[in-house]
Amino acid sequence: MRTFLLALLIAGAGAVLGLAVNTVSPRRLPVIAPPKAAPQPTDFIPLTDAWQLWQAGAAIFLDARTPADYKAGHISGAFNLPAEDFNAHYSEIATLLAPATVIVTYCDGLECDLSHHLTDRLRELGYRNVRILQNGWTAWRQAGLTTVTGVKP
Amino acid sequence: MKVFNLILRLVVGGVFVVAGAMKVWNPGSFANDVANYRLLPDALVNLVAITLPAIEVLAGGLLMAGLWKKPSALLITGLMAIFLAGIIQAVIRHLDIRCGCFGTFEARHVDLIALAQDWILFCAAAWLAFWYKD
Repeated sequence: MRTFLLALLIAGAGAVLGLAVNTVSPRRLPVIAPPKAAPQPTDFIPLTDAWQLWQAGAAIFLDARTPADYKAGHISGAFNLPAEDFNAHYSEIATLLAPATVIVTYCDGLECDLSHHLTDRLRELGYRNVRILQNGWTAWRQAGLTTVTGVKP
Repeated sequence: MKVFNLILRLVVGGVFVVAGAMKVWNPGSFANDVANYRLLPDALVNLVAITLPAIEVLAGGLLMAGLWKKPSALLITGLMAIFLAGIIQAVIRHLDIRCGCFGTFEARHVDLIALAQDWILFCAAAWLAFWYKD
């Protein structure tokens, strides 16, 4: 019993320590996360529209998955901007983008939210025309549209 | 046996100190990893991302230092049980997510290897908490 109470005490002390560190950390988080706005239907682009943009060369496609997934196969011409490692990769991609550039983000699977995170980050940076191709990689492949493997777009 | 127990304490405690410290480094990214497990309501994700790494460092540090060995080992056992449950549900639900076990410095995804590693750590911590005698 005493052991158990002491374990709880350590957990409590750790929690207080964590909160204290958070108040002085340059990367502090709000303790209670503000509720996220639910995605709107206009946040998504249908596959047929995305394909038209692709054919016209009128949009930049950004693959939000990891470099390993990107290398294993991606939409032809899409650039890799991993949502989980945004800061490390953004500067390479930034030269391709203007605030009004039409951007299509995608990852893989209906549950995948990497493209959502990437879209949020890009919008925060002022890009106005960012839309998500939901279940992008699978949908694109299943429709038989062009893909490539390797590290190049 | 004494040496074995000492090594076990240092390894289990050390893993926790390192894992916790790496998460403190980038709390935003760790919060993302926590959210991806889809176990917590959004409002609680940041609270966990802020407190959990510090609890890991403290418990691991105490275990290494040999202070409050049993309580810190018990706490680590409990945390490992929670992590195991999180990984098992992620594997069952086919969530293709980053483990987050060691913060942002590893890109490893949740898989059976992560499950096996957690299981070993869980057993080692449980040994220290329940069977270890000075």
